[in-house]
Amino acid sequence: MNEQALIQDAQKGDLDAFNTLILHYQDSVFNTALRILGDDDLAADVTQDAFISAFKSIGSFRGGSFKAWLMRTVTNACYDELRRQKRRPTTPLEPDTEEGEEMDSPRWLADPGMTPDQKAEADELEHAIQHCLNNLPLEFKTVVVMADLQGMDYTEVAVAARVPLGTIKSRLARARLRLRECLQGFSELLPSVFRLEEESTA
Amino acid sequence: MKQRDLELLSSYLDGQLSSSDAARLEARLRTDPEMRSVLQDLRSTRSLLRQLPMRKAPRNFTLTPQMVGKNPPLPRSYPVFRFAATLASILLFFTLGLNMLGRQMASPMPAYGMGGGGAPDTFTLESAPATEPPAAAAQAPAATEAPALQAPSAAMAPQPTATALVANSDRSMQTAVAKEPGTVNPAGSGQAEQPPQVLAQPQPQPAETKVVSPVWQWLLAGIALICLFIMALMRQLSVNRWRSKS
Repeated sequence: MNEQALIQDAQKGDLDAFNTLILHYQDSVFNTALRILGDDDLAADVTQDAFISAFKSIGSFRGGSFKAWLMRTVTNACYDELRRQKRRPTTPLEPDTEEGEEMDSPRWLADPGMTPDQKAEADELEHAIQHCLNNLPLEFKTVVVMADLQGMDYTEVAVAARVPLGTIKSRLARARLRLRECLQGFSELLPSVFRLEEESTA
Repeated sequence: MKQRDLELLSSYLDGQLSSSDAARLEARLRTDPEMRSVLQDLRSTRSLLRQLPMRKAPRNFTLTPQMVGKNPPLPRSYPVFRFAATLASILLFFTLGLNMLGRQMASPMPAYGMGGGGAPDTFTLESAPATEPPAAAAQAPAATEAPALQAPSAAMAPQPTATALVANSDRSMQTAVAKEPGTVNPAGSGQAEQPPQVLAQPQPQPAETKVVSPVWQWLLAGIALICLFIMALMRQLSVNRWRSKS
């Protein structure tokens, strides 16, 4: 996929070219929205809005990391959604299960190769991490989602978050420490994951 | 632990320190167990986060033209009809304005002292003498009666025609002379009628004063409506075709 050519075509109004880019980045964008918002349906809505907004403003992309540019769009969309929620709190239409879990089980990108045990472990890990992410301040959560979950480097995160590099370093360090403290509370639930981690670092 | 040290450790973990800063930090790590412990915590947390598999997007988020507000392509002739409709509408309003203006300008004027005016077509036979001022009319053979007739008293009507004219003027100032061409005095070239004419001059009929014929106005309105209808049809067909493709 020639990303630069697709971007140039999209900037000329070629919707098909932009849709090709969407297919390439939609998992990353959706996961970013999901980790920031903590809700599947909201994340899907925000992802769609983010792509619409991105197409309309693609003329403002001046080169550099397109992923960082997209992440900035989706984080802005997430912030808008969270602000909207603060003004008008909503209740979900579908009730959760008795255990408070989501009705639909998540589909993982590694779905075809996952055994049921691995899938269950992935579900538990996700639940634990999402719970701890939800307890982070928004600016910390955004940085750690982009840096550690999306694998973006500091410069890309700084571009996406529109803050200086020093601020990214500071927020990331503090976010990781808080997450560590929170995740330690789940170590009983995730013994195998933590055990593997301890063995690998020993 | 100091915030600054925490940031150093986190940056070191991500390889974001310069070589000199990294060397200094490594030297401290060798002698500071607390720093080593914190570094280990940061490393395990980052590792745990990276182990979280990515979720597959629940659906494709590709965009349709409707989502981004793209308009369907219209036929090439669309602008022609739009121009025609606009032009017809402008001309229609222009002609309406002209007719209204013409009506206002042809509004009834005071009859006293005015020797002319009125419906021009009704004065084709008598207009020449009728438009002459009273002083000129007095020079005619029947001028002896004219001064008398021009006396301030409008009731003096020695001529039967004048009487009729006066009577008519009482009924309708607008149709008195115009509809009674027979009232023209054959002997006098209508001069004897002047005073009554003055009084009974038919008043102009604003309703009949039109600068532009109503036929043209109807034509322009028809053109505008037809063009608008064709434009709406074109747009609907284009939208239907566009939606069936996307």
